[in-house]
Amino acid sequence: MSHTILFENIDEPGLNTIDVYRRRGGYEQLRRVLSTMAPEQVTEELMASGLRGRGGAGFPSGKKISFIPKVNVDKYLVCNADESEPGTFKDRELMQKSPHMLLEGMVIAAYAAGATKSFIYIRGEYVEQADIIDAAIVQAREAGFIGENILGSGFDLSLVLHRGAGAYICGEETGLLDSLEGKRGNPRLKPPFPANQGLYQGPTVINNVETLATMPHIIAMGGAEYAKIGTETSAGTKLVSVSGNVRNPGNYEIELGIPSREIIFGLAGGPPEGREVKLWFPGGSSSPVLEPKDLDLPYDFGSLQEAGSMLGSGAIIVVDDSVPVVDVALKLAKFYRHESCGKCTPCREGTRWTVSMLERVDSGLATPMDLDIMASVQEQIIGNCLCVLGDAMAMPIGSMVKKFRAEFESHIEEARLRNPYGGAEPDPDPVLIQGAASA
Amino acid sequence: MPKPAAETITFTLDGLEVDSPAGLMLADAAKLGDVEIPVFCYEPKLGQPVGACRMCLVEIEGIPKLQTACSTPVRDGMVVLTQTDRVKEAQEAILEFLLINHPLDCPVCDKGGECPLQDITMGWGGGRSRFIEPKRHFVKPLALSPLIAIDRERCILCYRCVRFSQEISEDYQLVLQERGAHSYVSTFDGHPYVAPFSGNIIELCPVGALTSQAYRFRARPWDVEGSGSVCTLCPAQCNVEFTVRDERVMRVLARDHAGVDDGWLCDKGRFAYQSVHVDSRVTHPLLRVDGELVPVSWDRALDEAAAGLRSAGADTGAIAGGESTNEEGFLLAHLMRGGLSSSHLDSRTGGTLSRDLHAALHAPQRQACVEDLEFAHALLVLDCEPVDDAPVLDLRIRKGIRRNAVKLAVATSRPSSLDPNAAAVARFAPGAGEAFCAALNAALGGEDTVVDELAAAAGADPAEVQALAAVLTDAGEDVVIVYGERLTHGPRGEHAARALLNVAGRVITAGHDGCGLLELPAGANGRGLREVGVLPNAGPGLTPVTSPGLDSGGIAAAAASNQIEALYLLHVDPLRDMPNRRLWKKALARATMVIAHAAFLTDGLWEHANVVFPAESYAEKEGTVTHPDGRVQRLRPAISRPDAVRGEWQVLADLCKRLDHDPGVLTGPMTSATLFAAIPFLAGLTLDEIGGRGVRWPERPQAAAWPQADGGPFGLEAPPFAPTPNGDLRLGTFRSIWAAPEVELSPALKFLRAHQRAELCPADAQRLGVAHGDQVTVSSNGSQVNAIASLRASVPGGTVFLESGLEQDSASELDAGLVEITRA
Repeated sequence: MSHTILFENIDEPGLNTIDVYRRRGGYEQLRRVLSTMAPEQVTEELMASGLRGRGGAGFPSGKKISFIPKVNVDKYLVCNADESEPGTFKDRELMQKSPHMLLEGMVIAAYAAGATKSFIYIRGEYVEQADIIDAAIVQAREAGFIGENILGSGFDLSLVLHRGAGAYICGEETGLLDSLEGKRGNPRLKPPFPANQGLYQGPTVINNVETLATMPHIIAMGGAEYAKIGTETSAGTKLVSVSGNVRNPGNYEIELGIPSREIIFGLAGGPPEGREVKLWFPGGSSSPVLEPKDLDLPYDFGSLQEAGSMLGSGAIIVVDDSVPVVDVALKLAKFYRHESCGKCTPCREGTRWTVSMLERVDSGLATPMDLDIMASVQEQIIGNCLCVLGDAMAMPIGSMVKKFRAEFESHIEEARLRNPYGGAEPDPDPVLIQGAASA
Repeated sequence: MPKPAAETITFTLDGLEVDSPAGLMLADAAKLGDVEIPVFCYEPKLGQPVGACRMCLVEIEGIPKLQTACSTPVRDGMVVLTQTDRVKEAQEAILEFLLINHPLDCPVCDKGGECPLQDITMGWGGGRSRFIEPKRHFVKPLALSPLIAIDRERCILCYRCVRFSQEISEDYQLVLQERGAHSYVSTFDGHPYVAPFSGNIIELCPVGALTSQAYRFRARPWDVEGSGSVCTLCPAQCNVEFTVRDERVMRVLARDHAGVDDGWLCDKGRFAYQSVHVDSRVTHPLLRVDGELVPVSWDRALDEAAAGLRSAGADTGAIAGGESTNEEGFLLAHLMRGGLSSSHLDSRTGGTLSRDLHAALHAPQRQACVEDLEFAHALLVLDCEPVDDAPVLDLRIRKGIRRNAVKLAVATSRPSSLDPNAAAVARFAPGAGEAFCAALNAALGGEDTVVDELAAAAGADPAEVQALAAVLTDAGEDVVIVYGERLTHGPRGEHAARALLNVAGRVITAGHDGCGLLELPAGANGRGLREVGVLPNAGPGLTPVTSPGLDSGGIAAAAASNQIEALYLLHVDPLRDMPNRRLWKKALARATMVIAHAAFLTDGLWEHANVVFPAESYAEKEGTVTHPDGRVQRLRPAISRPDAVRGEWQVLADLCKRLDHDPGVLTGPMTSATLFAAIPFLAGLTLDEIGGRGVRWPERPQAAAWPQADGGPFGLEAPPFAPTPNGDLRLGTFRSIWAAPEVELSPALKFLRAHQRAELCPADAQRLGVAHGDQVTVSSNGSQVNAIASLRASVPGGTVFLESGLEQDSASELDAGLVEITRA
């Protein structure tokens, strides 16, 4: 069931230092790439591996690098370490325990893309991880793995760690670029895509931490070999963050395509004693929820998409039958309302409206008709926004209203009976009602 | 970068084939197929689309998701659907979202009736709202500035105003605060948004969130009429639309003209209309009786004026102010040269240029137009400050740099607001334009040995001159030089003009489109007045005159020494608008007859005028003016003249008749026709042809009738050295956009009224023991002005800058090149 590549030595003490990392074969793949492979060969290996982006969108990573125009301008590589999707904490562990794996992957990716300047955009809350990476960068620079003329190959790469200020939207690639440039972190209109006009208007590759950290391993085993792991459309292993109502929450590395039940019950131990799984998010809080009947789905990109959800960032959140679905929906909607950047209309207004409606549902001031409006509002958001943040709220909320409509309705009814005024203000002062004074 | 030519492509729009220029955004291309796609945030004038409002979603075959028409360039063979159910649902959804926080207070909103949100809701909305939650609330309205009120509840966060501030006017003051549904437009820390072009955001706002403080609650759209004309408050001559209610101008809007203003207005142009309706306006003819100006009948005023002129005869001097129209200038020249046999008339403020130099500087083959500023390879801003001298051109220059990578070179005495955008900047001593041009000419010609000496004469750094020359030679063949009229002012103005022509000869290919010279005259219609003959040495159409008269400085000196008896002041108060205020005071006091056309009694007229004819405001005028790039534009009356005010052309014609030299004009248009007939290069022009967009005469075939003149290269004399400060300071002057009686008289703009500031560099200030904000006295030759010290690090050492055109303490009080500064 578990198949370790990234996590093979992850718990070895001191792996975050360059000495231990090198003792475990670290930076050997970089040396091999720089001394024996042309950039195009690296890209070919990545394409052959079938590696898909581990950040959420699942775009083929080799293809992404191949989109970078072969022109003589400054090119950039950006590592998206803003890991802000609720339920996702895999990059955190990776960066904390094996930062050099990320750095090695970045230099390889930069070499393939022809980028000479690279950045790691790490979320502001990851203070410890940022310090660890900073230290790792110093070590790698001293050892000549970053900087000018790396390992005598003539290839230069600068690397800067930038700490974000804690905005979800800065995990969106173009919002991240704006933030990195020192602007307000708002997503940009696409096209132009970052591969053509990204950071400082230059061609830019943006990849997730896990994606980049996988690259040295692909080089080591060869793209074709890596592609044999997992399924045909979802090659390789994936770090899965399991959280919520499970006995053993944590990060697990799995081979893509294993049954989801094996992850939730086998690795994470399933829900606590006497509880049943009510619903689960297969790929972070923005993936449409699945029900217990979907537990036997193979955990890979294609199967989850067919089931109407997505693999996303690989964060499984399990909700058991002790939690009202309305609470889950409200918590989620509030998060997205708070994190909406406000640039485009459907997301800015739709998230706020959805929260208001859910609050009424929760306090018993709603009617089942409001559920229809709520479902329709989610449909009005999906596909109409500038970036995917709006969809990220609308898809799970929409799926919850659809799949748990009966529970929503009974929640409204129960709340109404419990609290006839719905927590709203009591009747207005009679003198304020027009004509009451004279009557 | 020269203007690119667009090829035509064909795409399918709702089943019909439509031809469109390639690269046009779908939102614009759809209009060619008679389909309107609703938009809020999209405004091509603001640069790249942002796709924020999501109103313009359309279906494009082959793309699964709906696409924003504002950001999708049309491509050959593209199949676009704008009327499908999917599109309609999306449009209704976006409108529902936009309206959930919008207060729907249309009945009390200024925008109601001319509001894109209203119109689009009626046209594309679902007509119902399912939103029953509380709306978002803000304190409202707040003063974003003394000119603009902001109602944040009405705001739909389309970003237009913020983009204007960030990317068009580049004042970087407006930002978006907070995020998500809490976002709001604001300035940093709530400071007032005061900038030369701030009023444009009122017009950009697609809802009633940004309203004009001056127009708030003054009228509803169905109470008013729009009347197109031209603003004559500065040489930029922006096309405007006056909003008129009951014969009063209520508002000024831009009338987008790519060849003139690009759709923007400065705040002076937008708000100074208030001065049209102030109580202090002169509305009756005034005559000085026993030392007091008293209202009299037109006949009496005209008779008195005619009598005074007749007795002065050829000893009459006339000055025309920049606001005068071509027709007025033409009739004034007719009156002076014909009726009085005097050639003492001028419209320039700083001395005479020979006819040949006039002809060479403005020759059609060497004339750049406004659009060239945007598409040049390189642009030289020489001895002028566009934001003060012709504000709207400042935006055009910024646009060219931002969008078309125009290389800007700035060569001025006073630090320019364009410096940060420039590829090269050179400073020279005030008044040393001639030496600077000579140095630049030498640098362009590779005569490196003399550059150092000439640069020293100009008080400039030779390295800066060389760098500037490199920008002009390396960028490409389309080079435009924008220079201020002040470059050719003063006793050595002709030498400066020749040096400028030499520079032009090296970087400009005469007759090639896209390059050339563009002068920013001191007066709004400075160019037109010269061309209709308001010059001491040239008649209408720059024809030679037998005996040249005195120029403006000469007229002042002659009047001060009793050689000139009568002064005729057309829209000008010499104490305000002319250099050498002391001399003019004496001249006005000595002249036996001072006749003025004025809308306001500024100091000089109040004390010295014998006859004052009430002048029309620019909203009442008819006639033509000529833009600095040669575009003849038509003024059309928006409102009727108040009280006894008559058209200036009529007053001038009446005076001519009384002096037995009838010009034979009975109406305004007849005056224009007479004028066009008298000037060979305007021959055949009609008011109809000029229409609402104007006609550039240098582009007409009749331009061949422009007098031929030698355009150089000339042999240049060694220019004089700029004075060495030696402890004193060199005096430089400038006239800011706000130094005008219209600003002082408009209640809305009063807060911007200019006060004298002495701009000097911190090192000089320290030496003189002056701190920022100190009251100082600037003096020379016994005259002095009071000013507030203003320290600017970018001011070159040894120089102080003072503002001219002020009511009090104007720089024109001082006449020497070197001044002393002491703390008051």
